[in-house]
Amino acid sequence: MLELKRTLDAKGHGVLEMPSGTGKTISLLSLIVAYQKAYPLEVTKLIYCSRTVPEIEKVVEELRKLMEFYTKETGEKNNFLALALSSRKNLCIHPEVSSLRFGKEVDGKCHSLTASYIRAQHHSNPSQPVCRFYEEFDAVGRQVPIPSGIYNLDDLKDFGRKKGWCPYYLARYSILHANIVVYSYHYLLDPKIADLVSKELAKKSVVVFDEAHNIDNVCIDSMSVNITRRTLDRCQTNVDTLQNTIQRIKETDAAKLREEYRRLVEGLKEANVARETDIYLSNPVLPDEVLQEAIPGSIRTAEHFVGFLKRFLEYLKARLRIHHVVQESSPQFLKDIYEKVCIDRKPLRFCAERLRSLLRTLEIADIADFSPITLISHFATLVSTYSKGFTIIIEPFEDKTPTIANPVLHFSCMDPSIAIKPVFERFQSVVITSGTLSPLDIYPRILDFRPVTMASFTMTLARTCLCPLIVGRGNDQVAMSSKFETREDFAVIRNYGNLLLEMSAIVPDGIVAFFTSYVYMENIVASWYEQGILENIQRNKLIFIETPDAAETSMALEKYQEACENGRGAILLSVARGKVSEGIDFVHHFGRAVIMFGVPYVYTQSRILKARLEYLRDQFQIRENDFLTFDAMRHAAQCVGRAIRGKTDYGLMIFADKRYARADKRGKLPRWIQEHISDGSLNLTIDETVQLSKHFLRQMAQPFRRVRPAPFFTRFS
Amino acid sequence: MDEEPERAKRWEGGYERTWEVLKEDESGSLKATVEDILFQAKRKRVFESHGQVRLGMMRHLYVVIDSSRTMEDQDLKPNRLTSTLKLMEFFVEEYFDQNPIIGNVLLFEINTFFYICFDAGNPKKHVAALKKAVGSTCLGEPSLYNALNIAMQTLKHMPGHTSREILIIFSSLTTCDPANIYELIKTLKELKIRVSVIGLSAEVRVCTILTRETGGSYNVILDESHFKELLMLHVKPPPASSSSECSLIRMGFPQHIIASVSDQDAKPSFSMSHLESVDEGPGLTLGGYYCPQCRAKYTELPVECKVCGLTLVSAPHLARSFHHLFPLDAFQESPLEEHTGDRFCQACQGELKDKSVFTCPACSSVFCTECDLFIHDTLHCCPACIHTQGAS
Repeated sequence: MLELKRTLDAKGHGVLEMPSGTGKTISLLSLIVAYQKAYPLEVTKLIYCSRTVPEIEKVVEELRKLMEFYTKETGEKNNFLALALSSRKNLCIHPEVSSLRFGKEVDGKCHSLTASYIRAQHHSNPSQPVCRFYEEFDAVGRQVPIPSGIYNLDDLKDFGRKKGWCPYYLARYSILHANIVVYSYHYLLDPKIADLVSKELAKKSVVVFDEAHNIDNVCIDSMSVNITRRTLDRCQTNVDTLQNTIQRIKETDAAKLREEYRRLVEGLKEANVARETDIYLSNPVLPDEVLQEAIPGSIRTAEHFVGFLKRFLEYLKARLRIHHVVQESSPQFLKDIYEKVCIDRKPLRFCAERLRSLLRTLEIADIADFSPITLISHFATLVSTYSKGFTIIIEPFEDKTPTIANPVLHFSCMDPSIAIKPVFERFQSVVITSGTLSPLDIYPRILDFRPVTMASFTMTLARTCLCPLIVGRGNDQVAMSSKFETREDFAVIRNYGNLLLEMSAIVPDGIVAFFTSYVYMENIVASWYEQGILENIQRNKLIFIETPDAAETSMALEKYQEACENGRGAILLSVARGKVSEGIDFVHHFGRAVIMFGVPYVYTQSRILKARLEYLRDQFQIRENDFLTFDAMRHAAQCVGRAIRGKTDYGLMIFADKRYARADKRGKLPRWIQEHISDGSLNLTIDETVQLSKHFLRQMAQPFRRVRPAPFFTRFS
Repeated sequence: MDEEPERAKRWEGGYERTWEVLKEDESGSLKATVEDILFQAKRKRVFESHGQVRLGMMRHLYVVIDSSRTMEDQDLKPNRLTSTLKLMEFFVEEYFDQNPIIGNVLLFEINTFFYICFDAGNPKKHVAALKKAVGSTCLGEPSLYNALNIAMQTLKHMPGHTSREILIIFSSLTTCDPANIYELIKTLKELKIRVSVIGLSAEVRVCTILTRETGGSYNVILDESHFKELLMLHVKPPPASSSSECSLIRMGFPQHIIASVSDQDAKPSFSMSHLESVDEGPGLTLGGYYCPQCRAKYTELPVECKVCGLTLVSAPHLARSFHHLFPLDAFQESPLEEHTGDRFCQACQGELKDKSVFTCPACSSVFCTECDLFIHDTLHCCPACIHTQGAS
């Protein structure tokens, strides 16, 4: 609280690590809301960014409780407007559109009903279908502001239904004057979406990134482009369609194209004016220089532009026709493209903007179909804009299948600060928070900002409800490690199996076991099966396995929870960095123990990673090893943190690798876990682990008496 | 227990950290901690006064003991099974001592749950059966569902004014059920059967729900002494639920009549309760308790008359159950230093040596720890109070 207040006072940025389940969300919300009430001019808006839709809903519920508390205590109704925003898929109430299953389809369909020219056509030709909810909203919704209150996604939908307004557009419009906005952090980080949704948000906002331990990867993903041969093929079709449409329009409505041309000559002046007044969140895809210039002449007319695209496409195709791995920087790429097909840097930079304008002019309804060509145009713009922080890697085949040609062009961003920079620059305070941010100092370094406060909080517990144990040896004293040299070792695999077997006999209900990768998990499980360990485990508990397939995994998860619920007990074998390790909580009996087999290092042979590591070393002076360990440990912490979701919860955390005992690994775990690792729980054998766990579980099973309400957090000094 | 199985060797047992309990005091001596541990052990029993609550005095209790694979575990010495059975013997005796009006203890095994069936009344038989079970091997997986189902089938028919209870000693952490256990829990709840569980290893979710739904208690043991304590908690009758019906019960108070050997008419006769069990000797006796209604003879009380169904008890039995309704208040504990009166315990007349003394709130007499325990566990009345009452 204190730290957060300091951050807000200083109008700076902060990094706060707070263990989950200790009221992180509510304490953030309550302070910022109080701040907003006290200094309505200093902080006008709170933007709370979370990761998934359920998390967003949770935040809104907390907020609702807070507001109810305010009303109860002060006796007056406050006029706060808070709302959640999500994609059209989650907010659409149009009967036909909302029945579609994929987000892209919904977006496309929605666009085909609400685009301006469609509606213009509707005026002349009433049989052209439009979305009546949008029409209604457009007609009256903007004049009347939405009544103050707390709206989650369902509330918005209900409100929309009642009024007959489109909830999605209503929400998007309302965030401009809402006091609190809760949405996914893609809306702020992904330049393509941020431009649409978030650019008009006030400068005096406080931005909170919750669960932000992966924020650098989100930044990188939002700026990276992968192009496969399939993408290019579909682009080709797109280009053909474009050409045909242009032909058609030229015959029927040449004036329209001329009008567009005129507009382009005038340049993007409008956009420029807007940026100078500093109202907008700057779009990293569309850098400042672009706005000051007009679209270059070579791509100004529609045909020329399509021809240009074709040339660019052919070039990319040629580049993908290779047999060895190529890695090059953006300037190299630009030089090459100039030499081969005479494409200059400048027109490339305008590619994205030009394409958007063209699509608008051509009145193409279904934007979804054109996603490949949009992707390519973004790539073109990015590659020509940034000379630093990006790398281009062309791989002729995947590492796993070196015989099957499947060329991929990775245009990968190595510097997460590029995507997040506008956020830091624009908003007055940005707070990054999560349960696992240790070591804290690395985030400011890789995201390139200067925080006012950095603090790690620990939990005040009424009882020691977590029990981290580091198992380093089997009963036969053979060291356990998922180190590359020993991971195939028979003794190591057998010891891992024994550990799981012993734990399955003494831990009630659910156990979640994490492996470092799918491949490793498959190997181990296969060899356990041969050794008969699986059979023994199954006498104690049922076994479920996470697979890369989402449907299968959610099925396994459902059955796992059922088995935990009715007392049979179950083990979920899953993979660090997988779906299970990130988004799913194992409260209470769903996760009484988490076993982490090995240290979850990333696949270090990947070229993208290598390039990134090199970049980090050159630019930020972060050593490769430091970053790898940091990355591995935050994932390990994330995995084991799944089990403890609150004070009444308890769980074992077993780190099964002797490398965890080393100071460099241990020191990178979050404070709230580190605190409970005593010297006595390092490098245990399986037997010792079993004894300690038994004791712990019995202790924890005793009725839990709340001694006194503990304060929120205590500062760990 | 004469043929106690050979104790497992210390090194065969698990890895323990016994030294962690001990802490040195300032002078580096362990004496203080050791004494403290001993004292704590003495005083562990928690007095939970019910106040004036209606208690279910007539109890039907099923005890279900898990006998799956996990009972072979050696964390209780020599293993869980033997330890449990030994404690059960103690429990059965205590149970009949404290709840003399008709009780029904059943032990049974289904799919590796013990299933030893008795009729009511006699603790000796239960103990004998328990002894027999010692040393039996434990195999397979337990099924909570089957155990509950069988217990329910029998308890269903018990009259509404008696309590229906199931106590499960659950060692395993898993249950292999043939059907959905939540359905069964619902049925149990409807039938007002109270299920309590004592877990031997850790908290299992399904037991938490089971006990919460049916109004029982769920505890997990820490060690053997804690186990014993938890068992003893079940000796006391639970508060009756307000919804259970109450009714007046006819009871017979038979007199013990012994015909003198010199009497010519006296013929030795069989006790009615011995008719079924063959293995307990001839059973021909001269004297016994005669049912006031039908003159059937019994050698032991309390019992339900086999002939006319009358409940036969003796007056002391009723009196013993009585104290549950009006429990003796807990004595006030105060440190010895603050105590100003004479330095002798009112009960045993020994010198007060322990750290704290106990004062009866009614007559403000002082007692030592030992006597305090004895008074509350066995006597159920304050000797000093009775003394003053008698005098006045």
